[in-house]
Amino acid sequence: MPPPARKPFGLSWEGGIFLALLLYPLFPMFERGLFAATGRSLGEQLPLVFIFALLAYGLNVVVGYTGLLHLGIAAFFAVGAYTAGIFSTAAYAFQWPFWVVLPLGALAAAGVGLLLGAPTLRLRGDYLALVTLGFGEVTKFTLKNVVGITAGSQGLSPINPPTDHPAWSDDFRPFYYLTLGVLILAALLLRNLERSRLGRAWIALREDELAANCMGLNPAKLKLAAFALGSGLAGLAGVLYATRLTSTADPNAYDFNRSIFLVCCLIVGGLGSRLGALLGVMLLVGFDNILTPIIDGAIQQQFPDAGGKIFLTFTGWRLAVFGLALILMMRFRPEGLFPSSRVKHELHPDEAVSEPVEPITMGKTTGEVAAIDGGKA
Amino acid sequence: MPPLLEVTALRSGYGPIDVLHDIGLSVDAGEIVTMIGANGAGKTTTLLTVSGAVRVRGGRVAFDGHDLTRTPAHKVVSLGMAQSPEGRKIFPRLTVLENLQMGAFTRTDKPAIADDLEKMFGLFPILKERKGQAGGLLSGGQQQMLAIARALMSRPKLLLLDEPSLGLAPQIVTQIFDIIRDLNAKQGMSVLLVEQNARLALKVAHRGYVLETGRVTLADKASVLLNDPRIRAAYLGE
Repeated sequence: MPPPARKPFGLSWEGGIFLALLLYPLFPMFERGLFAATGRSLGEQLPLVFIFALLAYGLNVVVGYTGLLHLGIAAFFAVGAYTAGIFSTAAYAFQWPFWVVLPLGALAAAGVGLLLGAPTLRLRGDYLALVTLGFGEVTKFTLKNVVGITAGSQGLSPINPPTDHPAWSDDFRPFYYLTLGVLILAALLLRNLERSRLGRAWIALREDELAANCMGLNPAKLKLAAFALGSGLAGLAGVLYATRLTSTADPNAYDFNRSIFLVCCLIVGGLGSRLGALLGVMLLVGFDNILTPIIDGAIQQQFPDAGGKIFLTFTGWRLAVFGLALILMMRFRPEGLFPSSRVKHELHPDEAVSEPVEPITMGKTTGEVAAIDGGKA
Repeated sequence: MPPLLEVTALRSGYGPIDVLHDIGLSVDAGEIVTMIGANGAGKTTTLLTVSGAVRVRGGRVAFDGHDLTRTPAHKVVSLGMAQSPEGRKIFPRLTVLENLQMGAFTRTDKPAIADDLEKMFGLFPILKERKGQAGGLLSGGQQQMLAIARALMSRPKLLLLDEPSLGLAPQIVTQIFDIIRDLNAKQGMSVLLVEQNARLALKVAHRGYVLETGRVTLADKASVLLNDPRIRAAYLGE
C-alpha cells in the first residue's frame, strides 16, 4: 500500500475540504461579506468549480492513472451537455426528467468514449494525443454545423431544471449541494477504484506496458475501461453544466482551450492525485472567475481614467500570469502542488527513506557459479 | 511424454524486419534450458515471441498441450508460463508488495496467493524488509529479485528469464543463480534462460542452444557446449 496521507484531526485533506464545502452555505455572512465588492456570489461560482473538478476527475482517470495523454476531454463534456439538451428541452419530444438525463448523459459519453477508444487506443503517446485533439475539434465543428439537431451556435435551451420548486432559481444552495454531492460520490468511487485490482492494473500499465502484459494484464481492455470511465465522468459534468446554464451553450464552450485548461489543472494540482485534481481546478478556475474580477475591480478604483487600456486591466495580463505560473511549476515542482505519494517518490527519491547500502564484497566470491563470473559486459 | 514447451521453425520480428528466421527448441518438464548468443542474435525476441508479447509470423509454439501460436501475452500467464523480462521492468511506483500482487493478477485464490507471498518473502528476505517501499527505490539486485519473485507469483510451470545478471554485482548474481537452481531442483520448475554470460548460463543449465542471427546453430547438453572448442572461442572468451 502507498504511504497514507497525513491526517490532521483524523481527517484527510480531501475530507477536510469537502467538509468545509458542505458547511459553507450554512454561514451566510461569508456569502454576503466576502465578495461583496465584485458583486459576485461565491456560492454561485463554486458549483462551476465542482463541475470542472468532476471533469478533471474524469480526465485524471485517463491521463493520471493510466498515462494516456488525452487532449479532447471537452468533447465528452459536450456529449453530456447535448444529451441533456436533446432529452430535456422542448425542441424534442422526449422532455425526460433531470434524474433520467443525468445518468443518460454519463452513459452516452462513456459510449462515445468506447467508440473512439476501440480503434485508437492501440496508438501510443503522441499519436493518441493527436487523435483525441482532433476528435475534440471535430466534435465542436459538428455541433456547430448540424444546426437541425444542435441548434448550431445558439445552443439548445431551455433545459428543464430538476424541480419546479421556486427555491431552485431563487437560492444557490440546491444546485450547490447537487453538484457537490455528485462530486463527493465520484471522489468516493475513485478512492475505492484506486485501491482496487483495476486501479493497480491501470498504474502498472502506465509504468510499463510490456511488463504489465507479461503479468497477464490485457492492455487494450484496461485502456478502454479507463477511457469509458473518464468519458462517463466528463459526460456527467456536461449534464450538470448544461443544467446550470439552462442551455447547452455555444459549441465554442467545448473547444480545445477547455481541454487544455483541464490538463493544466491536473498538472498544477498533481497528475494522478484526486486532491490535486480538486485543488488544481479550484486554483485555476478560482483565479479565472473569482480573483481576476476582484483584481480588475481594485485596479479600476485606482485608475478610474484608464479608458479601456488593456494593459491597465488584470484580464489583459491574465494569460501571461498563467503561463509564467506553469513554467515555474515545471521548473520547481514538476510533480504538481498536491501530488499522489507515488509520483512524489519517483521525482524526489532522495527525500524518501534512505536505503541501507548493500554489502558487496568484490574479489572474493562464494559458490562455484560466481567463481566463473567475469565475462559480463 | 511431449516436452513442456516446443517451438518449431519460429519466425518473427518487428516492423519490416524479421529477427527470428528459424528457431526450433524445446524445454522438458523439470529442465533448465539456456539460449546463448551474441547481441542481436534473437534471444530476447525468442522469449517475447514464445510468451506472445511479439506476434508469431511463422512456425509454431506449443506449451503444455496448448497451441500458443496465436495466443496473446495476457492469456499465456494463466496457462502457466511467466516471464521476467529483460531490464527487470518492475513497476517503480508500485510498492514491493503491490508489484508481487501484480504477479498474481490472473489468480483469484486469495489464501493461496497469501501463502505464495510468504514463500517469496522466505526466498528473498530483503523483499519482506522493503515490502512497503516503492519498487523504484530498490537497488538493481533487489529489483531483479523482485522481478523473479513477481514472475513466480503466478505459479508458473515454465519461467522465462531474460538476462537476470544484467548490471549486477558478482555476488548478487551468485545469489540469484543459486535461487534459480534451487527452484528447479526442489520444486521442479522448468526455466528457459537467456543470458549474455554464457559460461554462467551453461553451468546452471541442463541443455543449451546457440543462436546466431535468428537461427539455432548448435544444440546440445550444457556440459558438452561448455567444453566445445568453438563455443569456448566464440562465447567464453578463450
